[in-house]
Amino acid sequence: MRRAALAAALTALTAATACTEDVTAPGHCPDFCPSGSITGVDTVLQTVVQRDSAFRGFVRPHEARSLLAATLPGVIDGRAIVLLVPVGQRLVVGTGGDTTTGAIVGVDSLRLTVTITRRDTSAHNLTLVYYRLPLDLDSTKTFADLAGAWTTADSLRSLNVDSVYALAGHVDLLRGDSVFVDTLTNRVTVIAKLDSAMAPYVVADSGKAAFGIRVVADSRASIALGSVEAGLGPLLTWFAEADSVAKDTVPRSSTVGVRFDSFVFDLLSPSVDTTLDSTLAVGGMPVARSIMRFALPRLIRDSVQISRATLVLVTARPPEGVPADSFTLSAHGVLADFSAKSPLSPDPSRVATTRVHIGIARGDTVRIEMADILRSWQIDTLAPTALALRQIPEGMEFPEIRFEPSTNVALAPALHVTYVKRFPFGKP
Amino acid sequence: MARLVAALFLSVSLTVRLAAQDSQFSVRGLGVPGRWESVRARTTGGAFGPFDPRSSVADVSLADALQLTATAVEATTYRRAEIGGSRDDLRSSRFPFMSLAGPLSRRFVVGGGFATYLDRTYSIVTRDSQMLRGAYAPYTDRVGSDGAVADLRVAAAARLGSWIAIGAGAHVLSGSSRQTAQRIYDDTTFLGTTQTAVVRYDGFGISGSVALDPVRSVRIVGYARSDNRLRARLGDTETDRVDLPTTLGAALRWSPSPSARVAGTVAWRSWSDAGGFNTTSWSAGAEVGAGPTPFRLGVRGGQLPFGPGTAAPTEFGVTLGTGKSFSGNRALVDLGLERLVRKGGGLTETAWTVLVGLTIRP
Repeated sequence: MRRAALAAALTALTAATACTEDVTAPGHCPDFCPSGSITGVDTVLQTVVQRDSAFRGFVRPHEARSLLAATLPGVIDGRAIVLLVPVGQRLVVGTGGDTTTGAIVGVDSLRLTVTITRRDTSAHNLTLVYYRLPLDLDSTKTFADLAGAWTTADSLRSLNVDSVYALAGHVDLLRGDSVFVDTLTNRVTVIAKLDSAMAPYVVADSGKAAFGIRVVADSRASIALGSVEAGLGPLLTWFAEADSVAKDTVPRSSTVGVRFDSFVFDLLSPSVDTTLDSTLAVGGMPVARSIMRFALPRLIRDSVQISRATLVLVTARPPEGVPADSFTLSAHGVLADFSAKSPLSPDPSRVATTRVHIGIARGDTVRIEMADILRSWQIDTLAPTALALRQIPEGMEFPEIRFEPSTNVALAPALHVTYVKRFPFGKP
Repeated sequence: MARLVAALFLSVSLTVRLAAQDSQFSVRGLGVPGRWESVRARTTGGAFGPFDPRSSVADVSLADALQLTATAVEATTYRRAEIGGSRDDLRSSRFPFMSLAGPLSRRFVVGGGFATYLDRTYSIVTRDSQMLRGAYAPYTDRVGSDGAVADLRVAAAARLGSWIAIGAGAHVLSGSSRQTAQRIYDDTTFLGTTQTAVVRYDGFGISGSVALDPVRSVRIVGYARSDNRLRARLGDTETDRVDLPTTLGAALRWSPSPSARVAGTVAWRSWSDAGGFNTTSWSAGAEVGAGPTPFRLGVRGGQLPFGPGTAAPTEFGVTLGTGKSFSGNRALVDLGLERLVRKGGGLTETAWTVLVGLTIRP
């Protein structure tokens, strides 16, 4: 018994004294510090980007997830264009499962529904102006091609979004318009009533319809409308009179979607010319990207640990637009350097972003923190050290920014990098 | 009971790392030399080390291991470092020593084991700032090392006559330390960095010793050891190579009665070969009681090989301990307490160390 108690006491003593560890103490240097020290370096690599180029056409207007409309005097005039699916020549007149159809003999009215996905809340009296367009809309159509349809005389009507929203229930009972705001997404749904004179039903066309939408406001106006690519394409509801066997006519409605949507624009200033030069263009329409190739020193690639890395770009041509047109600029690592066709890396650690605000001036710098990208390049030594500068999301903004290229030695892209040198392990 | 002791022995072996007592004096230079002593020898200030067959100070002491014996030591240290008005309390548990010895014949005994040759465990935290992008960026640096150089020994001793015995050993120095260098900026826009590396060490040494019993109650031991060099390697790259010291020592034990023994030891080591200070250490101790529960005490002093300034840091220690045998003397438990004071370069380091030793004679 006595021995067992002693053994238990010894076990408890061993357990109490084993596995306790706290050897961390403040250093009193240099006498009681290791001979080696951690060395941090902060430097700007001015010539690290050695080849760069810009390419355009990554997203074209008819592929965009937004239909851009903007009235920026002296800069750009952009308008959405929509070709709707024909309503057809007959509508179902039967009820209760009876699929009997009757020919459309007349149209009472139509309702055109569009969704504003982005707007400048500081623009007052935001007004949509509707135009009737030719039925041969396609992706080749330009602003100039449709010049004849944009005259004031061709304007079907206008709808003051702010005014209608201010009405009780957000409905204009007199004109049949209504505006709804989704407080979750901030999307604005605008329903405009058109009468049969504005959109007559033409039997020979089977009820085809095409519209153009322009936006104006008290100040500069720029909005994005949802497109069919985003699942938010315009809708057209026909309120028609259909021939019936039992009666002369019956009222029937039919809603049709979009067959084609896009937008056209007129660049009013040489400063927004879409022609590419040696500068690094990003965004705009058709969407431009720039590819930057980095020649990293071996020290950076192999030996150091990156604390911070900032890509410094100098603005060569600032973006034009309204404050709501501010956009996200992304430096995106590529899987392989195939120039314009370089596939983007799906790895989120190879994406660095910053916000570009409208109002930035020429000569201003744009900085992108890209330490994670540099670290990923250190880990994957086979990865191409190239970045695609792009707008996020692409094709949803008119503004385009251009940066000074590497050929402009004084203002070339630079990499401001803070790193810690390899510690001299193995020295006493 | 034997099973219980064996289980305790194994539990200590598996949970505690090999290293000697940590010290802030291990930050500079090669580290702090380990103690090649069992708890029995250590609680006599180390004075009984050259005579103790369970210790590896002098190979000739194996000659007294007349049956198979296995010993392990566990040490837990509560340390206080004071410098420049600041005080830090630290603690660590270590497994610094293990040995195995047994006779091949009546006159010839072989043994082996491991002990800490140099301890290289520390963790230093410093605060500073650096001008980054037009502003001072404060940061915290943590530089640490966790590991030791172990002394793996194979030795043999022979009793040539009733008054003389000799011993010799070969030592392989091997070990590693996991080193870490970490910088964390206060400003989180600067990512923290952590670098780690495992530095491996190797070296070789030989030792020899002789024991003389001029009269029945007196034994004199002289011992010497020479280690060639310590090589540090990072991967396949040699990062450092330093010569290691020669050790010369002598000890005297007097046993006036079967229940009382006193001893004294002095040792000199040429640590200047390794870029440090040559050291001379001494110890004196006594063991009273021949039964199953002896009482031991000792005192020791000397220098440490590495430290700032032009003078070697000093150390002074007082120890006491006891032991208890079980199962017909087949299992021994030794307990000890050591108080240590180290001084040098403005640093005063004090430590309490609780020692637990387990010996099994199957």
